[in-house]
Amino acid sequence: MAAVAFEDVSKVYADGTTAVSGLDLEIRDSEFMVLVGPSGCGKTTALRMAAGLEEISSGAVRIGERVVNHVPSRDRDIAMVFQSYALYPHLSVYENIAFGLRVKKVKKDELDRRILEAARILDLEPFLKRKPRALSGGQRQRVAMGRAIVRQPQAFLMDEPLSNLDAKLRVQMRGEISRIQRNLRVTTLYVTHDQVEAMTMGDRVAVMRKGELQQVASPQELYDRPVNLFVAGFIGSPAMNLLEATVARTNGGLSAQAGSQSIVLDEGVLSARPGLAAYEGRPVILGIRPEDLEDTALAGDTPSDRRLRGTVELREALGSELIVHLAVDARPAVTEDVRELAEDTDAVVVQELEEGPARATVVGRFGARSKVQEGETVEVSVDTRALHFFDPDSGAGIYESDTTKGVTR
Amino acid sequence: MTTAPPAAGAPPAAGGQAWRKHAVTLAFLGPALLLLGVWIVYPTVRTMLRSFFDRDGSAFVGIDNYEDIFTNEVIFRAIRNNALWVLIVPALVTAIGLVFAVLTERVAWRIAFRTAVFMPMAISLFAAGVIWRVMDQQDPDRGAINATIGVVKDAIDPPGSLSNAFASTPALEGDASRGLVLRRALEPGDVALLGLTGIPPGQVPGGAEQAADPGPGEGIRGVVWRDFKPGGGTPGKVEPGELGLPDVTVVLRDAAGKKVDSTQTGPDGAFAFDDLEPGSYRAGIGKATFAKPFAGVSWLGPNLITPALIFAYIWVWAGFAMVVIAAGLAAIPRDVLEAARTDGASEWQTFRRVTVPLLAPVLSVVFITMLINVLKVFDIVLAVAPGSVQDDANVIALAMWRTSFGGVNDFGLGSAIAVLLFLLVLPILALNIKRFRTEAS
Repeated sequence: MAAVAFEDVSKVYADGTTAVSGLDLEIRDSEFMVLVGPSGCGKTTALRMAAGLEEISSGAVRIGERVVNHVPSRDRDIAMVFQSYALYPHLSVYENIAFGLRVKKVKKDELDRRILEAARILDLEPFLKRKPRALSGGQRQRVAMGRAIVRQPQAFLMDEPLSNLDAKLRVQMRGEISRIQRNLRVTTLYVTHDQVEAMTMGDRVAVMRKGELQQVASPQELYDRPVNLFVAGFIGSPAMNLLEATVARTNGGLSAQAGSQSIVLDEGVLSARPGLAAYEGRPVILGIRPEDLEDTALAGDTPSDRRLRGTVELREALGSELIVHLAVDARPAVTEDVRELAEDTDAVVVQELEEGPARATVVGRFGARSKVQEGETVEVSVDTRALHFFDPDSGAGIYESDTTKGVTR
Repeated sequence: MTTAPPAAGAPPAAGGQAWRKHAVTLAFLGPALLLLGVWIVYPTVRTMLRSFFDRDGSAFVGIDNYEDIFTNEVIFRAIRNNALWVLIVPALVTAIGLVFAVLTERVAWRIAFRTAVFMPMAISLFAAGVIWRVMDQQDPDRGAINATIGVVKDAIDPPGSLSNAFASTPALEGDASRGLVLRRALEPGDVALLGLTGIPPGQVPGGAEQAADPGPGEGIRGVVWRDFKPGGGTPGKVEPGELGLPDVTVVLRDAAGKKVDSTQTGPDGAFAFDDLEPGSYRAGIGKATFAKPFAGVSWLGPNLITPALIFAYIWVWAGFAMVVIAAGLAAIPRDVLEAARTDGASEWQTFRRVTVPLLAPVLSVVFITMLINVLKVFDIVLAVAPGSVQDDANVIALAMWRTSFGGVNDFGLGSAIAVLLFLLVLPILALNIKRFRTEAS
């Protein structure tokens, strides 16, 4: 086991495209690090540079004490799990797992012992004689894992290993990979575009965007204190609601004014974000997570300065909860980050953002017992302790008083 | 049929329907069946029957023709040659194609190189044969292969300046392969006349002047000259109009045969050895002076004709193998190879343990195709091998053709050879069909 470190690593392709720029990231010994970001953000390129499948344009990649920039893949002592599994189609499951040991000329009984051990961990014992094409997707995924485990490498590198599985299997394998990693305590770098995987599996999560590292933190920290609008929007599902607002002084206290709505800022919010006081009278971007919104009818007695009012546009009942899309009289925040996140999903949304309607759509996550109907105007309680604020110009989260960019690591 | 009154009843209508269905089937299959029947089925059956009759088809001879195949020296050699082809060519073509495909995968001028290697496929085999017939000529001035070998060989081991010369009188003994030595022993004060002839005017070294008889002097003096004058002259005597031979190395040995000294002749062919101890000496010219230039390998001769043919054939087919294998190579998923590398395999291990097994289906297609091609090889042998060595270069298909049409005109024996060839190809075809079946399932 060893730490894996990226030191100011950049990747520029021959055509001048920059895939990764100045990446500084250390994966500690035995740590499960998830590298997450939208497609094309450079996360897979970073992983492939660590694996030795992609040349490093500048900077250094370290595995343990060794700089491996010019060490060929086979000598890096890493094991990679590919998105496509990349099993050897001409070899049986047993031989697939044995491949890495055979090329290293491991003795027969040692080899047999290690493969059977790996097969036991992964429940692959009944399939050892089969060819990969006779396996289901989940079984193939486990063979790919077995191939990595059996080598007892310094580090696991996993490139979206679950993205080819159906939703149910993915949840199951997510747990299995986490369990295996915890038992073996092998340093792991795990690349995914799925923020749920990132949140559930990683000891720490690194968020990347356009080749640049945004934030490295534990999943909870990432959720509670996103360093900028991009991270705030990327982490959490449904995504955080972002509204244009102004910080104003009303009745002696500070409040956020978004369109005709006004939400009071608690002492708790202000003490957690001393920097916010400096924004008095200035525009900010207000972020509210859907899970911090609740139907007032269920939330009980909520003061009117902790409420939003909106019209129900869409109601998605998931059984356990209710996702409600509300049209609220406030301007949605349009920033570079927001536009980009929207582009990832929907072109129509982008157009709406550009035109800047006075009505923002706010998504709320209500209890299943909520009786709201489409077309109805409802009062929504806001958990004001969990509000987020961002600078409209830089997009940075507003936390400390002395800094505009509260980078937390 | 459609206008038939319904009163005619159901059974005739149903019969008409069935007839119609058969007619349509026949209309579609007919042309193909007709062509196949006329050009494939009938000739095959006819050839098989013909092989049991004698040369003009008048008498039934049973299996005599088949016995002939294995007793006739010429035809049996064709079978032996063909066996050699089968052993060497498919394996070599597949291996070379694989090497080319793998190597060209990573070079910048891939397309240009592959086009060049594939080009021979665009020529007819017969035309390729004509090209090689010329390339394989023995004379280095005409055959490109021998010219190339000659350039290399002459650079390493240059020919002598007087490669065709020989002694003009019996006073010089020895021959070109050992060097020439003056028969008479010499003592200081003697004159050595080393007369050579058989040197064409074009081979007289540049700068040669009128030969001069040095006359007796202090040591041993002498001259090497072209002892030939148009219109005659006296051999062994330096005469006006005869040229000295410059830059010839003359060696002087003592009575024991030990080398004492050597010197170069001047423009007039004169040389001198001074400061000699009294005693008996022999003067001569070393064999290097007479070394022959490269005369060329007899590719088209009886011994090398089959290797030469095989080389030409591989030249033609290597491009085909390369292109097919390169296509197979491109179809191998990149990440499987990457997985092998991250699994710790070296490039060679990746190639041997992953690339080649994954290419196996493609390699076997190339191998089997070449196996069938080689069994039927014909035109390149006919085009490259001169008539005089066609018995030595013979292969089954050529033997069949020569027996039937090439002067022998024995259609019975020719047919028997054709049937033999057919029988040899059958198991390979069966193998191929079996492979198609397993691939389809």
